[in-house]
Amino acid sequence: MEADELLVLVAGGDQKAFEELYGLVSGPVFGLVRRVVRDPAQSEEVSQEVLLELWRSAPRFDPGRGSALSWILTLAHRRAVDRVRSARAATEREQREGQRNHRPAFDQVAEEVEAGLEREWVRRCLDRLTALQRQSVTLAYYDGYTYREVAERLSLPLGTVKTRMRDGLTRLRDCLGGVA
Amino acid sequence: MSVLDRLLGRDLHSLAAPYALDALEGEEKRRFERHLKGCHRCAEEVRALTEDAVRLAWSTAAAPPAALRDRVLTAVRLTPQEQSARDLTRVRAAHQPTRARAPRLRPLFAPLATATAAAALVVAALFAVQVTQARDQLDQERAQAREIAHVLAAPDARATGERDQSGRGIGVVASASERRAVVTLSGLGTPSGGRVHQLWLMRPNENPRSLGLFDGDTPLVADGLDPNSTSLAVTVEPHGGSQQPTTSPVVQLALETVGFGE
Repeated sequence: MEADELLVLVAGGDQKAFEELYGLVSGPVFGLVRRVVRDPAQSEEVSQEVLLELWRSAPRFDPGRGSALSWILTLAHRRAVDRVRSARAATEREQREGQRNHRPAFDQVAEEVEAGLEREWVRRCLDRLTALQRQSVTLAYYDGYTYREVAERLSLPLGTVKTRMRDGLTRLRDCLGGVA
Repeated sequence: MSVLDRLLGRDLHSLAAPYALDALEGEEKRRFERHLKGCHRCAEEVRALTEDAVRLAWSTAAAPPAALRDRVLTAVRLTPQEQSARDLTRVRAAHQPTRARAPRLRPLFAPLATATAAAALVVAALFAVQVTQARDQLDQERAQAREIAHVLAAPDARATGERDQSGRGIGVVASASERRAVVTLSGLGTPSGGRVHQLWLMRPNENPRSLGLFDGDTPLVADGLDPNSTSLAVTVEPHGGSQQPTTSPVVQLALETVGFGE
Protein backbone atom coordinates (compact mmCIF):
# COMPACT_ATOMS: atom_id res chain seq x y z
CA MET A 1 0.00 0.00 0.00
CA GLU A 2 1.08 3.59 -0.61
CA ALA A 3 1.86 6.03 2.19
CA ASP A 4 -1.24 8.08 1.35
CA GLU A 5 -3.66 5.17 1.81
CA LEU A 6 -1.86 4.01 4.94
CA LEU A 7 -1.94 7.44 6.55
CA VAL A 8 -5.71 7.59 6.12
CA LEU A 9 -6.01 4.21 7.92
CA VAL A 10 -3.62 5.41 10.62
CA ALA A 11 -5.83 8.47 11.13
CA GLY A 12 -8.60 6.01 12.02
CA GLY A 13 -6.43 4.46 14.76
CA ASP A 14 -5.18 1.44 12.75
CA GLN A 15 -1.94 0.30 14.45
CA LYS A 16 -1.17 -2.37 11.83
CA ALA A 17 -1.30 0.32 9.16
CA PHE A 18 1.07 2.41 11.26
CA GLU A 19 3.57 -0.47 11.35
CA GLU A 20 3.47 -0.65 7.58
CA LEU A 21 3.74 3.12 7.27
CA TYR A 22 6.74 3.03 9.62
CA GLY A 23 8.45 0.66 7.17
CA LEU A 24 7.94 3.15 4.36
CA VAL A 25 8.79 6.44 6.04
CA SER A 26 11.19 5.75 8.91
CA GLY A 27 14.21 5.73 6.56
CA PRO A 28 13.39 9.06 4.90
CA VAL A 29 12.47 10.62 8.27
CA PHE A 30 15.60 9.41 10.07
CA GLY A 31 17.88 10.32 7.17
CA LEU A 32 16.50 13.83 6.87
CA VAL A 33 16.65 14.45 10.62
CA ARG A 34 20.22 13.17 10.76
CA ARG A 35 21.22 15.36 7.84
CA VAL A 36 19.99 18.44 9.69
CA VAL A 37 20.74 17.54 13.32
CA ARG A 38 24.05 15.66 12.69
CA ASP A 39 24.44 14.26 16.20
CA PRO A 40 23.40 10.55 16.01
CA ALA A 41 21.84 10.29 19.49
CA GLN A 42 19.86 13.51 19.07
CA SER A 43 18.80 12.45 15.59
CA GLU A 44 17.35 9.26 16.97
CA GLU A 45 15.53 11.20 19.67
CA VAL A 46 14.06 13.71 17.23
CA SER A 47 13.05 10.94 14.79
CA GLN A 48 11.25 9.17 17.60
CA GLU A 49 9.36 12.37 18.46
CA VAL A 50 8.45 12.89 14.83
CA LEU A 51 7.20 9.33 14.29
CA LEU A 52 5.14 9.44 17.47
CA GLU A 53 3.74 12.83 16.48
CA LEU A 54 2.88 11.30 13.11
CA TRP A 55 0.69 8.77 14.92
CA ARG A 56 -0.87 11.37 17.23
CA SER A 57 -1.65 13.97 14.65
CA ALA A 58 -2.55 11.67 11.73
CA PRO A 59 -6.25 12.65 12.08
CA ARG A 60 -5.23 16.17 11.04
CA PHE A 61 -3.80 15.01 7.69
CA ASP A 62 -5.85 16.35 4.81
CA PRO A 63 -5.24 14.26 1.65
CA GLY A 64 -6.62 17.11 -0.45
CA ARG A 65 -3.70 19.34 0.46
CA GLY A 66 -0.71 17.29 -0.63
CA SER A 67 0.92 13.90 -0.45
CA ALA A 68 1.38 11.96 2.80
CA LEU A 69 5.12 11.68 2.33
CA SER A 70 5.51 15.39 1.90
CA TRP A 71 3.33 16.07 4.96
CA ILE A 72 5.45 13.67 7.02
CA LEU A 73 8.80 15.00 5.80
CA THR A 74 7.66 18.57 6.37
CA LEU A 75 6.87 17.63 9.96
CA ALA A 76 10.27 15.92 10.33
CA HIS A 77 12.12 18.89 8.84
CA ARG A 78 10.39 21.36 11.13
CA ARG A 79 11.28 19.35 14.25
CA ALA A 80 14.86 18.82 13.11
CA VAL A 81 15.30 22.53 12.45
CA ASP A 82 13.82 23.40 15.86
CA ARG A 83 16.34 21.10 17.51
CA VAL A 84 19.37 22.31 15.60
CA ARG A 85 18.48 25.96 16.25
CA SER A 86 18.13 25.50 19.99
CA ALA A 87 21.37 23.50 20.06
CA ARG A 88 23.09 26.25 18.08
CA ALA A 89 21.73 28.94 20.41
CA ALA A 90 23.11 27.01 23.40
CA THR A 91 26.52 26.64 21.73
CA GLU A 92 26.64 30.33 20.94
CA ARG A 93 25.76 31.14 24.53
CA GLU A 94 28.59 28.94 25.74
CA GLN A 95 30.97 30.54 23.31
CA ARG A 96 29.99 34.03 24.42
CA GLU A 97 30.49 33.00 28.00
CA GLY A 98 33.87 31.61 27.03
CA GLN A 99 34.79 35.10 25.74
CA ARG A 100 35.41 33.75 22.27
CA ASN A 101 34.09 35.36 19.17
CA HIS A 102 34.23 32.26 17.09
CA ARG A 103 31.66 31.44 14.47
CA PRO A 104 31.11 27.91 13.24
CA ALA A 105 33.03 27.37 10.03
CA PHE A 106 31.15 27.45 6.77
CA ASP A 107 30.31 23.81 6.42
CA GLN A 108 30.31 22.60 2.89
CA VAL A 109 29.95 19.09 4.21
CA ALA A 110 31.66 16.33 2.34
CA GLU A 111 29.62 13.70 4.11
CA GLU A 112 30.15 10.10 3.13
CA VAL A 113 26.90 9.06 1.54
CA GLU A 114 25.52 5.87 0.18
CA ALA A 115 25.01 5.81 -3.54
CA GLY A 116 21.41 5.92 -4.64
CA LEU A 117 19.51 6.87 -7.71
CA GLU A 118 17.50 9.57 -5.96
CA ARG A 119 20.56 10.91 -4.23
CA GLU A 120 22.31 11.11 -7.57
CA TRP A 121 19.35 12.93 -9.16
CA VAL A 122 19.15 15.51 -6.40
CA ARG A 123 22.89 16.08 -6.55
CA ARG A 124 22.78 16.56 -10.30
CA CYS A 125 19.87 18.94 -10.09
CA LEU A 126 21.53 20.93 -7.31
CA ASP A 127 24.58 21.21 -9.59
CA ARG A 128 22.43 22.92 -12.19
CA LEU A 129 21.55 25.78 -9.85
CA THR A 130 23.75 28.84 -9.63
CA ALA A 131 26.13 28.81 -6.68
CA LEU A 132 24.04 31.39 -4.81
CA GLN A 133 20.77 29.58 -5.43
CA ARG A 134 22.32 26.33 -4.27
CA GLN A 135 23.88 27.80 -1.15
CA SER A 136 20.73 29.72 -0.20
CA VAL A 137 18.58 26.61 -0.50
CA THR A 138 20.94 24.12 1.13
CA LEU A 139 22.04 26.32 4.04
CA ALA A 140 18.38 26.69 4.93
CA TYR A 141 17.12 23.19 4.23
CA TYR A 142 20.04 20.95 5.16
CA ASP A 143 21.67 23.13 7.81
CA GLY A 144 18.62 24.75 9.37
CA TYR A 145 19.69 28.39 9.04
CA THR A 146 17.04 31.12 8.86
CA TYR A 147 17.03 33.22 5.69
CA ARG A 148 18.42 36.12 7.74
CA GLU A 149 21.34 33.96 8.86
CA VAL A 150 21.85 32.78 5.29
CA ALA A 151 21.99 36.39 4.11
CA GLU A 152 24.58 37.18 6.75
CA ARG A 153 26.72 34.15 5.95
CA LEU A 154 26.67 34.84 2.23
CA SER A 155 26.93 38.62 2.71
CA LEU A 156 23.84 39.17 0.57
CA PRO A 157 20.86 41.53 1.00
CA LEU A 158 17.75 39.83 2.44
CA GLY A 159 15.77 40.42 -0.73
CA THR A 160 18.38 38.65 -2.82
CA VAL A 161 18.34 35.61 -0.59
CA LYS A 162 14.56 35.38 -0.76
CA THR A 163 14.71 35.50 -4.54
CA ARG A 164 17.55 32.97 -4.77
CA MET A 165 15.60 30.60 -2.55
CA ARG A 166 12.52 30.86 -4.70
CA ASP A 167 14.42 30.51 -7.97
CA GLY A 168 16.45 27.64 -6.59
CA LEU A 169 13.35 25.71 -5.53
CA THR A 170 11.57 26.37 -8.81
CA ARG A 171 14.57 25.16 -10.79
CA LEU A 172 14.74 22.03 -8.69
CA ARG A 173 11.09 21.44 -9.51
CA ASP A 174 11.82 21.65 -13.23
CA CYS A 175 14.80 19.35 -12.92
CA LEU A 176 13.35 16.76 -10.54
CA GLY A 177 9.76 16.99 -11.68
CA GLY A 178 10.25 14.25 -14.26
CA VAL A 179 11.15 11.63 -11.66
CA ALA A 180 8.45 12.45 -9.10
CA MET B 1 10.11 47.92 -1.46
CA SER B 2 7.51 50.60 -2.21
CA VAL B 3 4.66 51.67 0.03
CA LEU B 4 2.27 50.17 -2.52
CA ASP B 5 4.04 46.81 -2.30
CA ARG B 6 3.71 46.89 1.45
CA LEU B 7 0.04 47.73 1.29
CA LEU B 8 -0.56 44.88 -1.12
CA GLY B 9 1.37 42.55 1.16
CA ARG B 10 3.95 41.86 -1.54
CA ASP B 11 6.81 42.02 0.95
CA LEU B 12 5.10 39.31 2.95
CA HIS B 13 4.42 37.38 -0.19
CA SER B 14 8.14 37.14 -0.94
CA LEU B 15 8.54 35.16 2.28
CA ALA B 16 6.85 32.11 0.75
CA ALA B 17 10.15 30.45 -0.23
CA PRO B 18 11.89 31.02 3.13
CA TYR B 19 8.73 29.76 4.83
CA ALA B 20 8.67 26.59 2.69
CA LEU B 21 12.30 25.96 3.71
CA ASP B 22 11.48 26.49 7.43
CA ALA B 23 13.82 29.48 7.30
CA LEU B 24 11.53 31.93 9.10
CA GLU B 25 11.24 32.25 12.84
CA GLY B 26 9.69 34.28 15.61
CA GLU B 27 7.36 37.20 14.94
CA GLU B 28 8.14 37.21 11.21
CA LYS B 29 6.96 33.63 10.92
CA ARG B 30 3.78 34.29 12.90
CA ARG B 31 3.03 37.34 10.79
CA PHE B 32 3.42 35.33 7.61
CA GLU B 33 1.21 32.54 8.93
CA ARG B 34 -1.53 35.07 9.75
CA HIS B 35 -1.17 36.45 6.24
CA LEU B 36 -1.43 32.93 4.77
CA LYS B 37 -4.85 32.37 6.31
CA GLY B 38 -6.33 35.18 4.28
CA CYS B 39 -4.27 34.81 1.10
CA HIS B 40 -5.36 31.88 -1.01
CA ARG B 41 -2.73 32.55 -3.65
CA CYS B 42 0.08 32.53 -1.05
CA ALA B 43 -1.20 29.31 0.47
CA GLU B 44 -1.11 27.68 -2.96
CA GLU B 45 2.37 28.96 -3.58
CA VAL B 46 3.65 27.79 -0.19
CA ARG B 47 2.16 24.38 -0.90
CA ALA B 48 3.96 24.08 -4.23
CA LEU B 49 7.27 25.37 -2.83
CA THR B 50 7.01 23.00 0.13
CA GLU B 51 6.63 20.08 -2.26
CA ASP B 52 9.79 21.34 -3.98
CA ALA B 53 11.68 21.61 -0.72
CA VAL B 54 10.68 18.07 0.22
CA ARG B 55 12.46 16.84 -2.93
CA LEU B 56 15.69 17.79 -1.18
CA ALA B 57 14.91 15.13 1.42
CA TRP B 58 14.99 12.39 -1.22
CA SER B 59 18.73 12.34 -1.13
CA THR B 60 19.02 11.88 2.61
CA ALA B 61 17.19 8.62 3.45
CA ALA B 62 19.12 6.38 5.83
CA ALA B 63 18.28 3.21 7.74
CA PRO B 64 17.27 4.08 11.32
CA PRO B 65 18.59 2.03 14.28
CA ALA B 66 16.52 -1.14 14.73
CA ALA B 67 15.70 -0.29 18.35
CA LEU B 68 13.84 2.83 17.20
CA ARG B 69 11.14 0.67 15.63
CA ASP B 70 10.33 -1.17 18.88
CA ARG B 71 10.25 2.03 20.86
CA VAL B 72 8.00 3.85 18.44
CA LEU B 73 5.60 0.95 17.94
CA THR B 74 5.24 0.40 21.67
CA ALA B 75 4.80 4.10 22.27
CA VAL B 76 2.10 4.12 19.63
CA ARG B 77 0.19 1.45 21.54
CA LEU B 78 0.37 3.72 24.59
CA THR B 79 -0.44 7.02 22.97
CA PRO B 80 -3.94 8.30 22.25
CA GLN B 81 -4.44 10.11 18.96
CA GLU B 82 -5.59 13.69 18.64
CA GLN B 83 -9.21 14.09 17.81
CA SER B 84 -9.84 15.66 14.46
CA ALA B 85 -12.04 18.77 14.41
CA ARG B 86 -14.78 16.58 12.98
CA ASP B 87 -14.71 14.20 15.95
CA LEU B 88 -14.95 17.05 18.45
CA THR B 89 -18.08 18.27 16.70
CA ARG B 90 -19.50 14.78 17.01
CA VAL B 91 -18.73 14.65 20.74
CA ARG B 92 -20.61 17.89 21.26
CA ALA B 93 -23.54 16.71 19.19
CA ALA B 94 -23.76 13.58 21.34
CA HIS B 95 -24.30 15.79 24.38
CA GLN B 96 -27.45 17.41 23.00
CA PRO B 97 -29.73 16.14 25.85
CA THR B 98 -28.44 19.08 27.93
CA ARG B 99 -30.60 21.27 25.75
CA ALA B 100 -33.74 19.37 26.80
CA ARG B 101 -33.06 20.01 30.45
CA ALA B 102 -32.87 23.77 30.03
CA PRO B 103 -36.63 24.56 29.94
CA ARG B 104 -37.07 23.12 33.42
CA LEU B 105 -35.38 26.21 34.75
CA ARG B 106 -38.01 28.46 33.24
CA PRO B 107 -39.79 30.41 35.99
CA LEU B 108 -43.46 29.51 36.05
CA PHE B 109 -45.00 32.89 35.18
CA ALA B 110 -42.11 34.64 33.53
CA PRO B 111 -42.80 36.50 30.31
CA LEU B 112 -41.93 34.32 27.35
CA ALA B 113 -39.11 36.53 26.09
CA THR B 114 -37.30 36.42 29.44
CA ALA B 115 -37.76 32.68 29.68
CA THR B 116 -36.28 32.18 26.24
CA ALA B 117 -33.37 34.43 27.05
CA ALA B 118 -32.78 32.55 30.31
CA ALA B 119 -32.96 29.24 28.52
CA ALA B 120 -30.53 30.52 25.92
CA LEU B 121 -28.13 31.55 28.66
CA VAL B 122 -28.36 28.14 30.26
CA VAL B 123 -27.76 26.44 26.94
CA ALA B 124 -24.78 28.69 26.36
CA ALA B 125 -23.42 27.88 29.82
CA LEU B 126 -23.88 24.15 29.30
CA PHE B 127 -22.25 24.38 25.91
CA ALA B 128 -19.29 26.13 27.53
CA VAL B 129 -19.06 23.24 29.98
CA GLN B 130 -18.99 20.78 27.09
CA VAL B 131 -16.22 22.71 25.38
CA THR B 132 -14.23 22.88 28.62
CA GLN B 133 -14.65 19.16 29.10
CA ALA B 134 -13.43 18.47 25.60
CA ARG B 135 -10.46 20.75 26.26
CA ASP B 136 -9.77 19.11 29.63
CA GLN B 137 -9.74 15.76 27.93
CA LEU B 138 -7.37 17.11 25.31
CA ASP B 139 -5.13 18.62 28.01
CA GLN B 140 -5.15 15.32 29.84
CA GLU B 141 -4.19 13.47 26.67
CA ARG B 142 -1.42 15.96 26.02
CA ALA B 143 -0.11 15.66 29.58
CA GLN B 144 -0.12 11.91 29.18
CA ALA B 145 1.67 12.09 25.86
CA ARG B 146 4.29 14.32 27.51
CA GLU B 147 4.68 11.82 30.35
CA ILE B 148 5.19 9.01 27.87
CA ALA B 149 7.57 11.11 25.81
CA HIS B 150 9.52 11.86 28.98
CA VAL B 151 10.01 8.17 29.79
CA LEU B 152 10.86 7.47 26.16
CA ALA B 153 13.43 10.23 26.09
CA ALA B 154 15.48 8.60 28.86
CA PRO B 155 18.69 7.25 27.30
CA ASP B 156 18.01 3.77 28.70
CA ALA B 157 14.30 3.65 27.81
CA ARG B 158 13.29 0.26 26.51
CA ALA B 159 10.05 -1.32 25.48
CA THR B 160 8.59 -4.77 25.81
CA GLY B 161 5.21 -6.41 25.57
CA GLU B 162 3.34 -9.67 25.94
CA ARG B 163 0.16 -10.90 24.30
CA ASP B 164 -1.56 -14.26 24.78
CA GLN B 165 -3.51 -16.23 22.18
CA SER B 166 -6.81 -14.69 23.16
CA GLY B 167 -5.37 -11.23 22.47
CA ARG B 168 -4.96 -10.16 26.08
CA GLY B 169 -1.80 -8.14 26.38
CA ILE B 170 0.36 -5.78 28.37
CA GLY B 171 2.91 -3.34 27.00
CA VAL B 172 5.52 -1.33 28.85
CA VAL B 173 8.08 1.37 28.15
CA ALA B 174 10.46 1.60 31.08
CA SER B 175 13.58 3.45 32.12
CA ALA B 176 15.65 1.92 34.91
CA SER B 177 17.54 5.18 35.49
CA GLU B 178 14.28 7.15 35.86
CA ARG B 179 12.76 4.24 37.78
CA ARG B 180 9.64 4.84 35.80
CA ALA B 181 7.42 2.91 33.42
CA VAL B 182 4.38 3.53 31.26
CA VAL B 183 2.10 0.51 31.16
CA THR B 184 -0.82 -0.21 28.89
CA LEU B 185 -3.33 -3.08 28.67
CA SER B 186 -5.07 -4.42 25.61
CA GLY B 187 -7.89 -6.88 25.03
CA LEU B 188 -8.81 -7.13 28.70
CA GLY B 189 -12.03 -5.15 28.55
CA THR B 190 -13.55 -3.64 31.70
CA PRO B 191 -14.14 -6.05 34.61
CA SER B 192 -17.81 -6.50 35.52
CA GLY B 193 -19.53 -5.42 38.72
CA GLY B 194 -17.50 -2.28 39.33
CA ARG B 195 -14.31 -4.28 39.76
CA VAL B 196 -10.99 -2.89 38.52
CA HIS B 197 -7.67 -3.91 36.98
CA GLN B 198 -4.86 -3.31 39.45
CA LEU B 199 -1.17 -3.24 38.54
CA TRP B 200 1.41 -4.89 40.82
CA LEU B 201 5.16 -4.76 41.00
CA MET B 202 6.69 -8.14 41.82
CA ARG B 203 10.02 -8.27 43.66
CA PRO B 204 12.01 -11.23 44.98
CA ASN B 205 11.28 -12.11 48.62
CA GLU B 206 8.85 -9.22 49.01
CA ASN B 207 5.11 -8.73 48.84
CA PRO B 208 3.68 -7.37 45.61
CA ARG B 209 3.48 -3.57 45.66
CA SER B 210 0.46 -1.81 44.12
CA LEU B 211 1.37 0.56 41.27
CA GLY B 212 -2.18 1.80 40.80
CA LEU B 213 -5.53 1.11 39.17
CA PHE B 214 -6.23 1.20 35.47
CA ASP B 215 -8.87 3.56 34.19
CA GLY B 216 -10.14 1.90 31.01
CA ASP B 217 -7.63 2.06 28.16
CA THR B 218 -5.66 4.91 29.72
CA PRO B 219 -1.96 4.05 30.15
CA LEU B 220 -0.73 3.98 33.71
CA VAL B 221 2.47 5.80 34.62
CA ALA B 222 4.30 3.97 37.43
CA ASP B 223 6.95 5.79 39.45
CA GLY B 224 9.61 4.67 41.90
CA LEU B 225 10.33 1.23 40.46
CA ASP B 226 13.05 -0.64 42.35
CA PRO B 227 16.00 -1.74 40.25
CA ASN B 228 15.51 -5.31 41.49
CA SER B 229 11.88 -5.51 40.33
CA THR B 230 11.35 -8.73 38.41
CA SER B 231 7.93 -8.45 36.84
CA LEU B 232 4.59 -6.66 36.53
CA ALA B 233 1.27 -8.39 37.11
CA VAL B 234 -2.35 -7.34 36.63
CA THR B 235 -5.19 -8.74 38.74
CA VAL B 236 -8.93 -8.07 38.92
CA GLU B 237 -9.78 -6.50 42.28
CA PRO B 238 -12.89 -5.12 44.00
CA HIS B 239 -13.87 -1.48 43.45
CA GLY B 240 -11.16 0.82 44.84
CA GLY B 241 -8.43 -1.83 44.66
CA SER B 242 -6.82 -4.07 47.28
CA GLN B 243 -3.84 -3.92 49.64
CA GLN B 244 -2.56 -7.22 48.27
CA PRO B 245 -3.70 -9.21 45.22
CA THR B 246 -6.80 -11.31 45.95
CA THR B 247 -6.99 -13.10 42.58
CA SER B 248 -4.41 -14.65 40.28
CA PRO B 249 -2.92 -12.43 37.57
CA VAL B 250 -4.72 -12.08 34.25
CA VAL B 251 -1.48 -10.95 32.58
CA GLN B 252 2.12 -10.85 33.69
CA LEU B 253 5.30 -9.41 32.19
CA ALA B 254 8.98 -9.95 33.05
CA LEU B 255 10.99 -6.72 33.33
CA GLU B 256 14.42 -8.19 32.66
CA THR B 257 14.53 -7.08 29.04
CA VAL B 258 13.80 -3.47 29.99
CA GLY B 259 16.77 -3.16 32.35
CA PHE B 260 15.33 -4.25 35.68
CA GLY B 261 16.17 -7.17 37.96
CA GLU B 262 19.49 -7.81 36.21
